[in-house]
Amino acid sequence: MTTTSRVHWWTALALSGAVGLMLVLFFGPRRGLPVLSRPAADENVLRVAFMQDLSLDPQQRSFPLPVKNQLTLSLWEPLVECDPETGQPQPAAAESWYWSADRLTLTLKLRADGRWTNGDPVTAQDFVRAWRRLLKQEPQYATVLFPLKNAEAFNAGRVTDPASVGMEAVDDLTLRLTLATVRSTLVTELADPLLVPLHVTTPAVLAQKAFVVHPEQMITNGAFTLARAGVEGFRLGVSPYFHDRSGVRLAGVRFVRVDNLRVARMLLAAGRVDLMAPIPDWLPSPLPTDRPVSEAVEMALTVTTMDLNTTRPPLGDLRVRRALSLALDRAAAIPENERSRLVPAFAWVPDMPGRPGLKVLHEDATEARRLLAEAGYPGGQGFPVLSLPVSVAWRNEPYLRVYIDTWYRVLGVRTYPAVVTSDERHRRLLSGDYDVFYNGLQATVPDAGDMLGSFALPLMYNASRWESPEVRRLLAEADTTTGTERLARLEQTERLVLEALPTVPTMFEQRRTLLAAEIDGWYADPLGRQSFRRLAIRSAGARDNGGPRL
Amino acid sequence: VSERAGWTNILRDWRGWAIAWATGSIGLLTWLLWDARAWIAAAPEASFRATSLNTWPASVLWWFLAPAILWMQTRRWLLDRRWPWALLLHGLMAVLVTGLFLGVDALRLLASNHLPWSFLPVVIHDLRAVDRWSYTPVLLYFLVVLALYAAGFYREWRAGQQLTGELRLANARLETRLVRASLDALKMQLHPHFLFNTLNSITSLIRNNRSREAEDVVAGLGELLRRALEHRQEAMETLELELEFLRRYFEIERIRFQDRLEIEYEIDPACLQAKVPCLLLQPLAENAMKHGISRDASARLLRITARRERERLVLSVYNDGPALPRDELIEGPGIGVQNTRARLHMLYGDDARFELRDQPPRGVLARLTLPFHPANPP
Repeated sequence: MTTTSRVHWWTALALSGAVGLMLVLFFGPRRGLPVLSRPAADENVLRVAFMQDLSLDPQQRSFPLPVKNQLTLSLWEPLVECDPETGQPQPAAAESWYWSADRLTLTLKLRADGRWTNGDPVTAQDFVRAWRRLLKQEPQYATVLFPLKNAEAFNAGRVTDPASVGMEAVDDLTLRLTLATVRSTLVTELADPLLVPLHVTTPAVLAQKAFVVHPEQMITNGAFTLARAGVEGFRLGVSPYFHDRSGVRLAGVRFVRVDNLRVARMLLAAGRVDLMAPIPDWLPSPLPTDRPVSEAVEMALTVTTMDLNTTRPPLGDLRVRRALSLALDRAAAIPENERSRLVPAFAWVPDMPGRPGLKVLHEDATEARRLLAEAGYPGGQGFPVLSLPVSVAWRNEPYLRVYIDTWYRVLGVRTYPAVVTSDERHRRLLSGDYDVFYNGLQATVPDAGDMLGSFALPLMYNASRWESPEVRRLLAEADTTTGTERLARLEQTERLVLEALPTVPTMFEQRRTLLAAEIDGWYADPLGRQSFRRLAIRSAGARDNGGPRL
Repeated sequence: VSERAGWTNILRDWRGWAIAWATGSIGLLTWLLWDARAWIAAAPEASFRATSLNTWPASVLWWFLAPAILWMQTRRWLLDRRWPWALLLHGLMAVLVTGLFLGVDALRLLASNHLPWSFLPVVIHDLRAVDRWSYTPVLLYFLVVLALYAAGFYREWRAGQQLTGELRLANARLETRLVRASLDALKMQLHPHFLFNTLNSITSLIRNNRSREAEDVVAGLGELLRRALEHRQEAMETLELELEFLRRYFEIERIRFQDRLEIEYEIDPACLQAKVPCLLLQPLAENAMKHGISRDASARLLRITARRERERLVLSVYNDGPALPRDELIEGPGIGVQNTRARLHMLYGDDARFELRDQPPRGVLARLTLPFHPANPP
């Protein structure tokens, strides 16, 4: 080893220069960057950023779900779609429907002008064929058809004859569905993107991925048709055969593949995309450009709950259950970085189109302590330790820790979060071996009855193990009514449930979408099923009027 | 062995590695560019996202960086008395390497998402703000540098060890040469000693008109000198040769002493092939003749013995002459004995012993004990 330095001055100078250059680059201007003009090919084209592996197969799901729904509903049209304002089913591929007197048979009449993108008419057989394919998929997808007679048995392999499943193409334009039991939400459920029809050629095209080279071979019945598919995403053009062709205001839709949410935000800022979702709390703000964008918020049909086992002595007492609910500080339990996604729940059903959420519950630590003392457990004395089975994946849920801590701090009630495997947790759920069950519910249709229906399920599926004949009666009545009458029955049901408090709702979830200001017609959909044929891109002149800047 | 050495040399030649690296680099770059040719040519349907330039792991950059780091570390930034400089420069390099990785990531994001160049600082900033910058390249860089330093230190330590070994070997060789030179010098002293005595004997024979015997002595002397000169460069020889030399010597001495000289040999045959310093016994025999046989007319016996005692070779030269004179006991032995002691000490150190003592009732015994070294070890 030498004893003299060999570092030449020019080496040090070059290195310092390179580091300096790098620092300039790294800490260069990050605000006020120019917005790129919309390319001519994208004029009046809605550009949506997506991050996941987005399959074109409508009978496969990928998350985040909204962009998958939007892609499917752009290319295919289901039998019905939900009204953005009321959430009620509206004609789509079906122009009308009617129930049998016993409400076990639903007959749908397809529109005569329904066409595939190759000009073929859309027939009832196309739905039956698609749904039979869906019934061969995993239960998590096939479950949307389980209300139909023998559908679940066919999916499980107990029934092998597809003709025995309660769906029948009476003629080209008539589809008859037979239910196992009365289900008033069935028509709304038919808006599910999983239930779109498939052209006879589609399964083979999907299997062979022929649409990559020949996108025209992907024959769909929606407002848009596949123009290009590849690693960069999908480009859709307007279908020339769509029955409401004149009502489609966009020239096309592009689903733009991006690497991650940060890049999606930058693309939105740069003018490369017009829409991105979801927006997590950690996404940096403000935008590096002055592009006008807005943030749309919609409630998701999800509720997180602490189900109380009402068959256990302390929790069978209504005062105890109310005390546990009153003691919580729901807002404080939500971590800082989740506050734009999670909101405190004071009811069972969140806001949804046509039905604003109730605010029934409240929080009052003093009242909680009084009720617990009245129940015989002043300061939690003599109250047994509550058992709460938690799966390994949830062991560090911050909300749970706060709830458990709050119950002890306010009421002196101790809770033991038993970390178990998912299988063990499920076993305990079925056997009732727990006091509290950390749970959640996600609706598949924008209907309060879907969420409230869980209280009419058999005890083994009802974690609170609470039964109410009155709730069953009201839900049955709601199933036989429609419109405001039905909504009234459902509100009665929800109030009854919240009065009895077999389960303590804790959090709702909301979705945030970042939109370019030139998007016109955006609407909230609790299930993220916005139909892009309702949207438009405002002209350049209208854009200059500006919009909110983030 | 030579083939292995050839491969070792090839592996140690940096040019071989440089050629391999350059070939690999060209191949890699060619493949990456070929794979991205459609995107480079700006084909309408081409996408950077699908190219290997985008999908290949960024760690492939190390392939290109490693030689540069190696070169700089070994040629430029050795840890020396100005080590703060080296640390500073390595710090700068670590920053640059990390920046390079981040920059490549950012460029990939930029290209695959069709973002304009002006967004590069934003992309880099977002990488830092959200994912936290990956500092793995910094760690890897310092690990590589530390490994290189460790390898360098190890190489130098090995070189130092080797040098120490070589110095020791050279020192030993030098010492051996010194000993050999000393031996040669001693032998040079022996030869004249014997030569003068023999020449005196020849002179005496000639004076006494014993020319025939003088001729024999001269012939024998010639033979002795020839053999002595043959062995000048050899420090050791077998006892058998040494005894053969002695026989020649005694043949000459027998002329001086006529029938009075009686030579006895008690030689263990197993000792004949033992190695002994050349001309070891001759000075002792000469002393026995000079100080023993020649001083007493009744003395006539000179006995040479050789035997093996375990791993030692014991040689003795006995004469039945008068006892050692007092002055020799007090002032020390003569030059022949001194030389013998010195030679034994140089060759064997404390492993050899030399004794010279009276052997009552009469006679003197010179006894040598040396390590037994066979000429052809089993």
